[in-house]
Amino acid sequence: QDPTAAHYMFQDDPYLMPRNSANARLLSLSKESGRNAAKYIIKQFPQYFDKILAEPNVPCLMPVTLTPQLEGVNEEALRERINLRMVKASVDLFDQLLQAGTPVSLETTNSLLDLLCFYGDGESVQEEQREEKEDLEESGVNASEQKTPKRPLQRGPRSSGSRWRENNDAERIFKIMPERNAHSYCTMIRGMAKHGASAKAYDMYTELLNERHKVDVHTFNALIAAVPFLKDKSPERWELVKVFLNHMVQQEVPPNLLTFNAVLKTLRRCGGIGRSMAISVLKEMEALKIEPSLATYEHLLFIFYRAVDLGPSSIISEVLEDVEKRSFTAQDPDDANFFATAMQVCCDLKDIKLAYRLNKAMEKGDNWKFLDMSQLNSYWSKFFSLLCMMEQIDVVLKWYREMPPSLFYPSPKNIVDLLQALDAANHLEAIPSVWEDMKLLGFNRRQDLLEEILSLMSRDTHPEETQLAFAKCAEDIKNVHEQSWREQAPLAWTGSALGHVAVLFSRVGRTQDAWYVIERFQQANRIPTDRVMDEFLNCAKQTNSPDEAIKLVKLAVSLGLSSAHRLKSRAEKEFELSESQR
Amino acid sequence: STSSVLSTEKDKSTTSTGSTNEVASKSPEGAAETPKQKLLNIIGNMKVEVTTKKKFQQLKTQEIKKQATDKLEGLDSRSSTFQGPAEDAQRSKPLNRELVEAVSAVASSLPRSKEQTESELLAQLRRHEETTDKQRKGGTINIRNVISEMSIKRQSPAQRGVMISNRISLAMEEDGQRLKPDRLSSRSFDSRRYFLSLREGKRLNIFTKAPPETESALKTVSSPTIWDLEFAKEIAAVTDQPPRNGFEEMIQWTKEGILWEFPIDNEAGMDDDAEFHEHIFLEKHLKDFPKEGPIRHFMELVICGLSKNPYLSVKQKIEHIEWFRNYFDEKEEFLQEM
Repeated sequence: QDPTAAHYMFQDDPYLMPRNSANARLLSLSKESGRNAAKYIIKQFPQYFDKILAEPNVPCLMPVTLTPQLEGVNEEALRERINLRMVKASVDLFDQLLQAGTPVSLETTNSLLDLLCFYGDGESVQEEQREEKEDLEESGVNASEQKTPKRPLQRGPRSSGSRWRENNDAERIFKIMPERNAHSYCTMIRGMAKHGASAKAYDMYTELLNERHKVDVHTFNALIAAVPFLKDKSPERWELVKVFLNHMVQQEVPPNLLTFNAVLKTLRRCGGIGRSMAISVLKEMEALKIEPSLATYEHLLFIFYRAVDLGPSSIISEVLEDVEKRSFTAQDPDDANFFATAMQVCCDLKDIKLAYRLNKAMEKGDNWKFLDMSQLNSYWSKFFSLLCMMEQIDVVLKWYREMPPSLFYPSPKNIVDLLQALDAANHLEAIPSVWEDMKLLGFNRRQDLLEEILSLMSRDTHPEETQLAFAKCAEDIKNVHEQSWREQAPLAWTGSALGHVAVLFSRVGRTQDAWYVIERFQQANRIPTDRVMDEFLNCAKQTNSPDEAIKLVKLAVSLGLSSAHRLKSRAEKEFELSESQR
Repeated sequence: STSSVLSTEKDKSTTSTGSTNEVASKSPEGAAETPKQKLLNIIGNMKVEVTTKKKFQQLKTQEIKKQATDKLEGLDSRSSTFQGPAEDAQRSKPLNRELVEAVSAVASSLPRSKEQTESELLAQLRRHEETTDKQRKGGTINIRNVISEMSIKRQSPAQRGVMISNRISLAMEEDGQRLKPDRLSSRSFDSRRYFLSLREGKRLNIFTKAPPETESALKTVSSPTIWDLEFAKEIAAVTDQPPRNGFEEMIQWTKEGILWEFPIDNEAGMDDDAEFHEHIFLEKHLKDFPKEGPIRHFMELVICGLSKNPYLSVKQKIEHIEWFRNYFDEKEEFLQEM
């Protein structure tokens, strides 16, 4: 692993290598949108791509024909359209069939209902779903200017794009079905729960119970996950969950991992009850010999650590013990959140050893796959902040040399933490190199970072060469404020920034520069502090320029500073002034 | 710092022993077992509960009760009246000595100044003793009323140890980073000692019947619905990261079919049912033709050409030969005429 290289995705032209996290994200998104654009072209204009030149043919690069082959108003055609996921066409064909009087079999109707319930009211998109991860859908769609309406995000019921309309096609078809079986009810419930019509889902469920149909485990999972939308108070929510679970027992439907994950997800929103019940749920899983997945652990961590500040408990170390031993496979879409939450918990607990263990767990087997690019960045960023807080400076610096840019790009907060760690370890001479990194990352215009770095540099006096280096940084910063570069307007000076820069210049004897900065005070409508004035006088004394001293005194007087008098006397004492100058 | 922690716990005088344990737990693991264990045993014997402020009152009354029972016993049997307080005093004396020893052992293993910690701990212990004395002398009159209304909370020694250690770790949290005990050591002994643990706990007891296995196995016969397909896709997408290096990218491309599979298979993508000898040795199809003559000659040339042809399938070659046969059959009449 080369620590100085960016992620493989970005290795193309060294000039194009992204420098900070925003650029990295932009680059990955643009790559993906390029691919999507290419696919769109192939799809829209297949007539230009009909020459098959490769032997053997590569089917995934060729245009896919997705037009239905069968014509005519019959059930076969309907089935085909359902398979091709053409929602509107299927519904139209179904209506035509009914009008023509041909009965449609229960199975076909059920699969039509499946299709409708899954997609809610939106149209499906007929192309290959994501190959790359990251939330690229929006930008990908925008970039290729697709005409399909807003795609329902397929990340699960919570983030479904479309909502359940009143009396939409699914409901309509459901009502006019001559006979319905358990599957019809189940799929309706799942669809309603997925698209936010939880109350309706519950009503449908009671109807199902009245009809004495058998419910399958997926429907129960959907219902349990929808409980927070059905009830508001935590005790009621928990009671409802227990009701569902008891129904499962009555109907002899065995629960699976997703059932328990749904229970824990609901418990996340149950406050104190969640905490007291969560462990029992876990014990139940163990008793039924269901192995917990990462999503289970993530829910547990959230319940015990994120919701409220409980103080130390051993849950996280036990969770880590379990996670360290296994290499996980994905079983639940929520698995992806585990590592991010766990690292956040480590940061909240300010425990660096836990973080090291978490890193090791992540490197085991396939566990690294659970973090996608953006999560990876924030994971390592938090880890680095924790390092800065808790570890010695040489360890911090070692990590700092190795981690960016291959693992993550430092965020502004990371830079601030690093500066503070350097300060705590009295290692301030490293600041100019940090400034170079800041410029590289593109942070050299951020006011907060500039303030931090300037105040650290100017707070104490340092040996000569450090001071020179500091002055160089100060000059860079001054340029940022003064010159406009490309389209960016020059950054406005703040009083403290001016003061610090002046002090830094004064300390190395760059009188002209210092005077230039001090003049800026008036322009920026700020008043220099006494310290600035004193430093400048010192500087003037060093370089033996009484003119400057007089200019300073004049400025002080003109600004009406209280210290003007003192400065005047000091100037008189320390400098040999000619009579005219007096 | 230690002193601040001690001062915060001064209010709860009965929890002073918690602070001594705190010190004990700071010391390195190997050596600390004995003083820590000793202290815990001592505390267990003392039957003092380390609790939060809420239970302070209960604790106080319990202590009163404990002392009172002694008193009552003393009252009932006159002879032992004198022994009661003497016993108590006796009981506290050896306690004190043991405690002092333990305290000195612990303080010597601490990085801080020995005397300071020792004095602090001993001061705390003395304060504890004073309060117990005070309470011992207090209210014998109202004891019966108090007792009748009270319910004593009983704790096993292990649980007591849990609570004590938990207070220790709470105190440690404020103490700053360097003095943290290595409580994340993966010994199962430690994981017992906290309030909340994933290892202990009761189950919900909702799903108590053994699940029927045969039914569920039969159920999955039906073809996967759109829900199942989409769910499978979602799951796959969770761990679907962009390739980390060139090898992974090549793996992905091979799976998609963009890259050939190595070692190269010449016949990849080509489905040809026939073996090579069926392509080349086509003489057996010439059975129906005359054995000599220009036709035979011609057909042998045809076969030679066909056998070298890689583009036709066996079937097509046989069809060619068939066509020739039909042609010559038709023309046979003409030929006979000639």
